[in-house]
Amino acid sequence: MAASAPIIVTEPDPARSAGARDAVHRHRRSARAGGPGWAVLRYVYSAAIFLAALFPLAWMAISGFKARNEVVSSPFQFFPDVWQPQNYVDIASDPQFLRAVGVSFGGALLFAALSLAVNSMAAYAFARLEFAFKRTIWVVVLMTMFIPGMAILLTSYIVVTRMGLLNTLAVLVVPGAAAAVHIFFIRQFYLGIPTSIEEAALIDGADRWRIFTAIFLPMSKPVFVVVGITSFLAFWNAYVWPIMTITEPDSALTQIQQYLATFRSERRIEYGLLLAGSTLAATPVIVLFLIFQRYIISGIRISGIK
Amino acid sequence: MRSTRRLTGGLGVVAATALVLAACSGTPDGGPEGSASGEEVPEGVTEVTFWQQSFTDEENEWYESVVDSYNESQDEVHVTLTAVPGDAWEQRMTAAQAAGNAPDIRTMNYGGVRNAALTSQITPLSDLISAEAWDDLQENVRGSVTVDGEEYAYPMLVEPSAILWYRTDLFEAAGIDGPPTTWDELVADAELLTNDEVFGMRLAQNAPDMSWSTWGYQWNVAGHLPISDDWSEGMATEDYAPLLQAFQDLFASGALPPADGVGYPDASTFGDGQYAMMANGSWAASQLLSDYPDLVPNVAVAPMPSFDGQSGQTTATLGGWTWAVDGNTEVAEEAATFIEWALGGDTENVVPFFEATQFSKVSPRVSVAEAISALPDVDTVNPWNAVIQEEIVPFAQPEPGYPWNVSLAMGEAIEAAMQGTPVSEALAAANDKINTEIANSQLAGTGS
Amino acid sequence: MTTIQAQAPPAKGRARRRPKPAHRDNRIAFLMLAPALVLLGIFVLWPLVYAWYVSFFNWSFYTESVFVGLRNFRLVLADPVFWASIGRGLRFSVIVVPAILILAFVFANLVKAMGQRMGTLLKVSIYIPTVISGVIASIVFVLIYEYRQGLLNWLIGLVGFENQPWLGSASTALLALTAPAIWLGLGLASLIMLAGLLDIPESYYESAELDGANWWQRTVFITVPLMRNIGLYLLVTCFVATIQQYELPLIMTSGGPVQSTLLPNLHIFLRFTNDDTVGYSIAAALLLFVVLGGLSAVIFRVINSEKAVDA
Repeated sequence: MAASAPIIVTEPDPARSAGARDAVHRHRRSARAGGPGWAVLRYVYSAAIFLAALFPLAWMAISGFKARNEVVSSPFQFFPDVWQPQNYVDIASDPQFLRAVGVSFGGALLFAALSLAVNSMAAYAFARLEFAFKRTIWVVVLMTMFIPGMAILLTSYIVVTRMGLLNTLAVLVVPGAAAAVHIFFIRQFYLGIPTSIEEAALIDGADRWRIFTAIFLPMSKPVFVVVGITSFLAFWNAYVWPIMTITEPDSALTQIQQYLATFRSERRIEYGLLLAGSTLAATPVIVLFLIFQRYIISGIRISGIK
Repeated sequence: MRSTRRLTGGLGVVAATALVLAACSGTPDGGPEGSASGEEVPEGVTEVTFWQQSFTDEENEWYESVVDSYNESQDEVHVTLTAVPGDAWEQRMTAAQAAGNAPDIRTMNYGGVRNAALTSQITPLSDLISAEAWDDLQENVRGSVTVDGEEYAYPMLVEPSAILWYRTDLFEAAGIDGPPTTWDELVADAELLTNDEVFGMRLAQNAPDMSWSTWGYQWNVAGHLPISDDWSEGMATEDYAPLLQAFQDLFASGALPPADGVGYPDASTFGDGQYAMMANGSWAASQLLSDYPDLVPNVAVAPMPSFDGQSGQTTATLGGWTWAVDGNTEVAEEAATFIEWALGGDTENVVPFFEATQFSKVSPRVSVAEAISALPDVDTVNPWNAVIQEEIVPFAQPEPGYPWNVSLAMGEAIEAAMQGTPVSEALAAANDKINTEIANSQLAGTGS
Repeated sequence: MTTIQAQAPPAKGRARRRPKPAHRDNRIAFLMLAPALVLLGIFVLWPLVYAWYVSFFNWSFYTESVFVGLRNFRLVLADPVFWASIGRGLRFSVIVVPAILILAFVFANLVKAMGQRMGTLLKVSIYIPTVISGVIASIVFVLIYEYRQGLLNWLIGLVGFENQPWLGSASTALLALTAPAIWLGLGLASLIMLAGLLDIPESYYESAELDGANWWQRTVFITVPLMRNIGLYLLVTCFVATIQQYELPLIMTSGGPVQSTLLPNLHIFLRFTNDDTVGYSIAAALLLFVVLGGLSAVIFRVINSEKAVDA
């Protein structure tokens, strides 16, 4: 794909320098954002975030141990009367659950990768290249961001049906891959990268594709992590579109949200199973985030110039 | 630098793979007509697709078993069943209709039959299902699937939408003799029963639920529905005032809760002991029996009260499900044959459904009802069955067939009155909305 | 490939050279744009054109569709419920969007100031709500708002207030929905804000510090202006997502009481579900699209006309 000639860019390896840099910053920051008032505020805000995030998570995980009626029973009760692992056992031992998690997880990774590839290229073109009808195309792309899903729900379904995509992996992964919202986001980042960075490479005769792959992509890690996570979650949480397009009963493409939906019906919600299933399903996504989150702190480091 | 190249190359491969997948993985028969199926349908066998709204596990299991037995019973037709979650049903069904790949058979509410028939969405079944099966149906239920003299769907079950469920222990403690027989009594009893832990009454909490669960009360208080018979003008008149007033009074007195986290058809908060009385459908029986067995001995049922205190009146409608055949299907005959086999033929096929749901639903077929009543343990399984069958079902009306927006206008009026809007103002607003709907949907003259 | 000087200074210089920009990158630009444009074209733009087309018909799936001109649009435009829902969506957004932006900005500064371990903990915490689906979030918040045994009424009871029907009263229900909306939206906004904040070279702060600028001055004169690109992005996307929120009111209140939480998309969704024809809901969705596009265009103009629209 990318022809590789050496392009010299002063880009320190973020992984290696992150620790050192952080130590320096920490030292300096503690000196400057000082004052006991700040410290108190900081802790109050942090505590609020922990609480707001952990309370529902803990409630969800703990309620998974409750009997069916106990979850919404009144008075409100955080812990179950009797801890029953049955819900978790039932779900974890259900091969359909494991398959659904696998499909959602794999599909979401594929979707995120495809979304990054397609949208970053377009974002680069809009941020750096001069081409015919650029403004018009940009406005049209941007406009697609504002289309309410209900406006094109039926017609896009007709399109994928005519293309013969129903009940394929492609119908889940491809139609949403190009997204104006991601092109917009990556472009905003690329606009902030100083042009001086590329100048040396352009003088050396590197072409635009090389500059994209060798200069922009390496600097895109934090952006890509954010876009990747957003895309991953969009796929993970998708519900209506998969139900519309995966029409085979017991399809191998059944996703986790469809699986969890079987615990809700209009007249009764199987709270224990729903919450246990949601907890188990959330685990791999949180772990994945734990692995990737460090790239968000690494930032884009560009030898001083901006 | 090395990591960069790997990243780019990797993305490229993934992108290419996905695009190839998009291009190649379409099933060959995935066109508009090709409703692909998960199971292998053998060569030469006609496939009939069937979508059901996903209900409780017990109900879904019956659907699966009846389809399996049919597929095993013969080798010319294969029925492929899909359970679609209720909250995505409308999107999936409408999209499939728009794209021309709707299922051959679908579950449908009684209330939807008339409109679907008039717009050719479903196929008339009169000639495709035997006279014997039609004649076995109770008259009023047969009427609700009949449009202009043709039957368009085969009824599966009926459920009275509003029954008064009450706690005998709390009534006793409060010194109340029996269930209220008028709405005035209901309001008074509910106030008496309300305390710090228990609300006196549970009714529908929001406009959408009020829209359908109050049909029976609307009949009862006004003697008509809020639209003229030929659907040409709104009739949300002052006749309805006592109903709206009752909601307003109940709410103002604190006997109705300001909000309840679950919808009208879900009986869990009553089961949890938060109410002394509850209006709910017959289906609540199975939820109470399976989830709250300790409460069951203290729960009794009665018809919802009437406004004039006379018994034997309509205070509920008969909701429920029918099976209909798509208007564009190419296998109407095969589909109808299956429906007759599953619902209209041997009672052995349907009785298990009513058993599985603890007799909380009622069969519209005379012979099935007889077969069920011949079972030794119906009344021990469902202690409320006799009252429901004898005092409520015979007086219930079929669901109205007019568009939902008409019902919603009434639901919104009741909600507004409950929240404090003057009753006559709420009714006037409802009447305006109904007249707007008549104009917008060009209803005049299309009524039954 | 030699006209490098055109690259600097960036956006402004280029914008002024219109209307005749050099189209020197045509080939590579269209190659790089092709995947995105093809996908958007097939799965978004064509369905959109198709939707506009069918909106002029009484679209029937079983009989011949009848051309009705602008009738569907007229029905929507004459419907006070539609306009009320748009106004409600705006009121909802006016609370939710600034709250998300401000909280996310504070969060990003906090994480930057924290040590790595604390920072990681904070990042993971803020991310968790986005993993928990809207359905679960709705259930949790319904329990929090519950009238008699809810957490919130218990808390305000401690300081002597009466129980409040948070979701049961038309005056508080919409406000009550803002909390879960902020809670769900904060995670991604914070991570984006953080990525943008860390993008600002540390050297800027260092020289400002040497000049004696305090934290507040550094924030106002360095951080905020340099995060304009990200801020604009967040403002527009948060607004679009918030005004289109429908899952929370659908599950928590069904749009009530007395339509006080009937947000525009929920109104369209309910009409889609309840109507016998799809004409009204498609026309309403298309009109919402026009409204959203128009409002966003205003945001672009007001905040950052050159960078956002001129590429």
